[in-house]
Amino acid sequence: MSLMGDLYRGRPAVDFPKVWKRMGAISALFLVVAAVALFTRGLNLGIEFEGGVSWEVDGGDVSTGEVRDALEPLGFGDARIQELGGNLLRIRAEAEATNTEETTAVSEALAAVAGVEVSDVSFSAVGPSWGDEITSSAERALVVFFIVIAVYIWIRLQWQMMAAALVAVGHDILITVGVYALFQFDVTPATVIAFLTILGYSLYDTLIVFDKIKENEAKAAANQKLSYTELVSLSANQVLMRSINTTFTSVLPVLTLLIVGRLLLGAVTLQEFALALLIGILAGTYSSVFVATPMVAVLKERQPEYRELRERLGGQETEDLEEARAALVRSERAGERPANTGLVSRRAKERAARSKIRSEDEKRHRPVGETNVSTQRTHPPRPRKKKRR
Amino acid sequence: MKGRAATPLIAIVVIVGALLAGSLIAGQEPLLGLDLQGGVEVVLEPVDNPGDEVTGEELDQALEIIRDRVDALGVAEPDITRQGDRIVIQLPGVDDQERAIELVGQTAELRFRPVLVGPLPLSGVPAVPDETLDPEPSHTEPVVCSDLILEGVDMVSDGYNGGPSLAQLETGFVTSPANDLAGRTVILDGEAGRYLLGPACVTGAALEGASAELQGVQWAVRVTARSGPDGIDRFNDAASTCFAAIGGICPAVPGDQVGALAIVLDGQVQSAPRIQAASFDRDNINITGSFSQAEARDIALVLDFGALPVEFTDPATTGLVRTVSATLGRDALDAGLLAGAIGVAIVAAYMIAYYRLLGVGAILSLIVSSAMLWVIVSFLSDTRGLALTLAGITGLIVSIGVSLDSNIVYFEHLKEDILRGRSLTSSIDRSFPAAFRTIFWANLATLIGAVILYFLTIGSVRGFALMLGIASILDLVATYFFLRPFVRILVLSKRFSGSNRAFGMPPDTEVEAVTA
Repeated sequence: MSLMGDLYRGRPAVDFPKVWKRMGAISALFLVVAAVALFTRGLNLGIEFEGGVSWEVDGGDVSTGEVRDALEPLGFGDARIQELGGNLLRIRAEAEATNTEETTAVSEALAAVAGVEVSDVSFSAVGPSWGDEITSSAERALVVFFIVIAVYIWIRLQWQMMAAALVAVGHDILITVGVYALFQFDVTPATVIAFLTILGYSLYDTLIVFDKIKENEAKAAANQKLSYTELVSLSANQVLMRSINTTFTSVLPVLTLLIVGRLLLGAVTLQEFALALLIGILAGTYSSVFVATPMVAVLKERQPEYRELRERLGGQETEDLEEARAALVRSERAGERPANTGLVSRRAKERAARSKIRSEDEKRHRPVGETNVSTQRTHPPRPRKKKRR
Repeated sequence: MKGRAATPLIAIVVIVGALLAGSLIAGQEPLLGLDLQGGVEVVLEPVDNPGDEVTGEELDQALEIIRDRVDALGVAEPDITRQGDRIVIQLPGVDDQERAIELVGQTAELRFRPVLVGPLPLSGVPAVPDETLDPEPSHTEPVVCSDLILEGVDMVSDGYNGGPSLAQLETGFVTSPANDLAGRTVILDGEAGRYLLGPACVTGAALEGASAELQGVQWAVRVTARSGPDGIDRFNDAASTCFAAIGGICPAVPGDQVGALAIVLDGQVQSAPRIQAASFDRDNINITGSFSQAEARDIALVLDFGALPVEFTDPATTGLVRTVSATLGRDALDAGLLAGAIGVAIVAAYMIAYYRLLGVGAILSLIVSSAMLWVIVSFLSDTRGLALTLAGITGLIVSIGVSLDSNIVYFEHLKEDILRGRSLTSSIDRSFPAAFRTIFWANLATLIGAVILYFLTIGSVRGFALMLGIASILDLVATYFFLRPFVRILVLSKRFSGSNRAFGMPPDTEVEAVTA
C-alpha cells in the first residue's frame, strides 16, 4: 500500500530514526549555506531601515504607471510612488543621496516624463521610517519572548523539549533569513512581520508533536517495551498526517498569494512577504519532525532511565513499527491514564467517562463501576494485515 | 444529549450573527492602512532660530516622541520619516484627520502655571483679547516659583512683568497669543472657565512622558519627569510652592487649602490639578480627577507633546498638511483578496474532500471565526484607529491555514481512536478533550508571544501582535463552542450515524470483522 494510504489508515509508515541522519545532514547543509549567505552577502535592508532618497515633481497628468515605466530601466522599478495633494508626485527609493550619478539620472528621467525642467524636480535624502527604536524594541521583545516560551515549555513539558523547540525555531529563522540574504530580497517591515509569523507557526507545530510524545511517554511507561527513540518515531508517525494536512492548508493560500501576486502588477511587497512565509512554513513543518523530534530523542536517551531501558531491550529494536504501536496501545489499555488533565472541566470528564461507559456497554455488557475505566480487551486492537509485506 | 450539545452551537451562531449585524448596521468597517488607501501627511519644520541650530539628534528624538504620540492615538501604522530637517508624518485613514493634525501639529510649549484666580465661569463675559501689551523678549523665560516668594510681588492685583491683573480678568480680558509669554501673568481660557495665571514655573522640557492609566476605579494621568535640576527638581519646587499656597503665588480656588498648577498648551488651560503633596518622586506624579478615559488620554498626550525637544512651525499655517495616495493601491489589495479567496476555496475543497462532513464543519467553524474577526477588527478600526495594511491582510490569510490546524488535530485524534477499534460515536467525546488540550497549550504559546510583542514593541509590530493574539483566541472559541457541538450533532444524527465514510474516517468494518 502506498505511503499516503498507510498514513490515511493511521499505520506507522515512516521509520524515522533511519531518515533522521540523512535529514540532519540536509539541514546542516542548508544551515551552512544560509549562514554563509548571511555573512558574505548580508541582508538587503529596505528604505524603511536604511533610509533613502526622495524626489518630488509636479507630474501634471502623468500617471504613476508611466513614472514607474520611466524608472524601470534605471533600476528603480520598485520605487514607492505617492500622489501628494494636487499633481505632485513623490517618489521614494533606496539609494545613497551621495551617489549623484544615479540620483541625477532619476531626476532627468522624471523631468522628461513629467515634461518639466530638471531643476523643477526636488530631491532630498530621507531617514528611515522604521527607526532604531522600533528595531531595538522588537529585538528586546524577542529576547523576552524566547525566555518566557522556554520557561513555558520547560514547565509544561520537559527541558529537553525546550532545548529542541528553541533549536528548531532558530533553524527555521536562520534558513528563512538565509534565503533573503542569498537572493538579496528586500527586508521590509512586512518581512519582519513574516519572520514573526514563522516563529509562531514553527513553535506551534513543534508543540503539537511534543504534546503527542508526552502523551505516549506516559502510556509507554507502563510496559517498558519501547525505547525512547522508538516512542518518538511512533509519535512522529502519529502526527505526520496532521502535519501534512496542516502544511497543505497553510501553504495553499500563501502559494496562491505568490502566484496571483506574480500575475498582477505592483504587488512586489506581497510577493516577498508571501515568499518568506512559504519558506518559513515549510521549514517549520520540516523542523518539527526532522530537527526538534530527533533532538528530543537524543537528549532523552542520555537519561539513565532510558539508557537502562535501551540496554534491557538489548538493542532489540522493534523492526515493525506497527508491532510497536500495538504494544503501546496494549499498555495503554492496561493502565488507562485519565485522558484529561488540567484544562478540561470535571464535568466534561465525567461526561466523557459516562458516554464511554455507554458505548462500551453497547458492545459488551460489561458493568463498570469507577470513573477510571479500564477496558481490558482480550484481543489485540488492530488486526495484522496479511496482504502487507 | 443532542439538545444539550446544540445549545452552545445555537448560542454562538446567534451571538456572532447579532454582533456582525450590529457592526454592519453601525457602519463599522476595517480601516485600511497607508499603503492601501493613502492618508494625510503632516510635515513639521523646525522654527528657524538664528544661533540655535537644530541637531540631527534632537530631530531623531522629536521623531520618536511623535511616533509614541501617534501610536497612543491607537494602533494605526503611521509612516514617520526624517527628510532633511523636516519630519514627515503620514497617517492612514481620514476619519481622525483633524485630531491627528491637532495632536501632531501643535507646536506651542507646554507650560505649568500657578493658578492665581479661577476658574471663573465663561458665560456672559465677552472675551476681549488683550492687545495692549507689548511682547517683551525678557519675559519669554520661565521663572523659578520659589524665587517669586522672595521677590514678594502681588501678582493678583498688579500682574507680573507687565501681565494682566485681577481687574482685567473681571472685565473679560484674555491674553492674546502674542502676549502669552512664559515670564508673565496671563489670563487664559480652559474648559472649566477663565483663569488668571502666574508665570510659568515648569515647561514640557522637564517631562519625560505621561500615560493614562486606571487607578482603582478612576482614570488618572501618570507623569514621569526627567531627572536633575531642570526636571524633577524644578517640578518639585513648583509643587512645594503651590502645596503650601504661600505668598499669593498659588492661591487657587478661594477657600481651598492647597494651590493648583494649570497645564497650559497653546494658550489653552488643559487641566488645573490641585497639588496634593510638597514633593514627588520622579516617576510617580499622578494627576487625578473625575476623568473619563478619553480625557485622561488627551491630557497624557498633551503632556507627552510638551516634551518635544525641537520647536516646529505650525503645519496648519505653513500649509504643510496634505493628502497622500496609497503606495501600493487598490490593485495590490485586490490581488491580495483574490489570492485569499482562491486559496480559501482550494483549502475548503481539500478539507471537504479529505474529511467529508467534518471538513464542512471545519469550513463553517472558519466562517464563524472570520465573522468574529471582522467584527473585532471593524470595532478597533472605528474606536482605536487600527489600520489593516497589506501585510496585516496577508497575515490574516495565513492564519486561516493555521486555524484549520485545530480542526485537523481534532479530526486526526478521532481517526486514531477509530483505528483503535472504537466507534465514531464513542470517539467524539473521547477525542475532543485530548485534542483540545493540545490545541489549547499550543495556542497559549502563541498568545504568550502575542502579549509580549504587544507590550514590548511599538509601531507595526504592535499591530501584528494584536492581530495574532485575537486570531489565536478566536481559534479556541470557534473550536470549543462551534466545532465541538457541530461535530457531535452531526455524528449523533440518525442520518449519518454509523457511516464512517461520510466523515472521511477509515471504515471500521475491518475492525468489527475481527472483533466478531
